[in-house]
Amino acid sequence: MGLFSKLFKGPEVDQAKSDANRETMRTLFNQVVDDGDSYRLIFGYTEDVSRFNYGLVHGSKTKIGSLIVGWNEDSGTIVVVPTVPDLSGCGDPVYYRRSEIHKAYRNKYPTDAFIIYPDRNGYIGIHAYDWLEDESLYVYVSQPEELSAFTHFFMTQFKTK
Amino acid sequence: MLWGEIGAVLLVLATLFIAGHLWFHIVEGVLAGLKRLVFSRQQPPAWHPLPPDGDDAPKKEP
Repeated sequence: MGLFSKLFKGPEVDQAKSDANRETMRTLFNQVVDDGDSYRLIFGYTEDVSRFNYGLVHGSKTKIGSLIVGWNEDSGTIVVVPTVPDLSGCGDPVYYRRSEIHKAYRNKYPTDAFIIYPDRNGYIGIHAYDWLEDESLYVYVSQPEELSAFTHFFMTQFKTK
Repeated sequence: MLWGEIGAVLLVLATLFIAGHLWFHIVEGVLAGLKRLVFSRQQPPAWHPLPPDGDDAPKKEP
């Protein structure tokens, strides 16, 4: 009975690992963003899907890019910092200020994503979930509260339509 | 005889599968090489490694 209930319950979050990664995300974020503690953080990722046709074989490739996403409700700013699933480092931050962006909305189809157009020429699609188990592709962090707070911020303060 | 035909079909499928994979990786390798050649002059994006922990950080001599 115990075994079956465990099987049906599905995978469980390793909270210690998740907390450690949350701290590392904060360290990385604060390292590159001024006044980083004024931002709340969530893990997100981008998906770059491209089709290929090499004659004999054709199909599609998906590239996943890990992101540390910070948001400040007072200034209406989202900061995106590229990183890697093992959190060994990060790139330069990109700032998306509500007053400066072209448009922002939440996409539901084909995938659930937060879309931000900084200008007319390009956009970023941020995917975020409360927990993703695959550590080779995503940062291992459980974030249901952060996801709820970010979604609320995006939908009530940041989106433009 | 039937088993021989099934085996032959499986062999053909396996050969096609392996050839497809080989072809995919060859083309990907060539494309990656071309990209490296074309974009070699561009500076790589800035990268900030995770600072070492307090315990692991190299200690300064007094």
